[in-house]
Amino acid sequence: MATYAQITGIVAPSQAYPGSRMDMTVKVKNLYASVISLMVGGALEYGVSPWPGITYPQSGADVAGGSTYTFNGYFYMPDKSVTIHAYSYWYGGDGYWHFDDEMTKVVNLAEVVASQFGSIEIVSYERRL
Amino acid sequence: MGAVFIPSEFGLVFVPLANVQVKAGDKLRITCRYTHRGKAESVPLYAAIGNSGWAGFDEVLNASKTINVPEDAVWQTREDYVDITITTAISAGLYDLYSKIGGSIPKVSSPTLHDVVEVLVTGNSEFGEITINSYAKV
Repeated sequence: MATYAQITGIVAPSQAYPGSRMDMTVKVKNLYASVISLMVGGALEYGVSPWPGITYPQSGADVAGGSTYTFNGYFYMPDKSVTIHAYSYWYGGDGYWHFDDEMTKVVNLAEVVASQFGSIEIVSYERRL
Repeated sequence: MGAVFIPSEFGLVFVPLANVQVKAGDKLRITCRYTHRGKAESVPLYAAIGNSGWAGFDEVLNASKTINVPEDAVWQTREDYVDITITTAISAGLYDLYSKIGGSIPKVSSPTLHDVVEVLVTGNSEFGEITINSYAKV
């Protein structure tokens, strides 16, 4: 149960190809009555220790009371299915960030299809001695 | 001079293609662009010189080589080439060109380029005429 920084959702594709960039968002709602600073964090769980992080170009924001802020992030899909583990924090009057809420979402590895060729064209021809 | 029609935002555009002159002993390098997706695969890249007609493509010379295509999660455009050695098996004239990926049942075939290869034949040694240009005491 979140105190002030409630994660209301993680938006990410349900599957991805290895090596592809995965864009995702984490929605965090300010449960406090007035504006406070919220911050998001996250990591990927897939058997690697320490957990690789998720890149958020902007990880913190001042959010009005009752409003939800969407944080954009991304990571590169490994060669295994991953669990996105997102965290939220709020900034207190004591000058510290306080860990608050967490949420997970699984992204499965997309299976690569059988080899297919779509088209071919001759782009040049030249005499070679 | 051959020609190929390619689509554009202006409709069909007539693009004349220059022909290349070759003779026995030369090689003709044919560079192809293809699209691929899916698992890695080793396949033959094949090209042929010949004559395109109502019954298909009558090949005179051809060549192939195995290309190793890596795994592509999404459609990727790649290029590779194959060299056809010009031999005396081909007579003088204008010829067409096409390429494909795969064996007897191709996975994909290119459009034919018409009249783009001109084969020149070097004949036996011949003398046309002789004249005396000068004469002097030596």
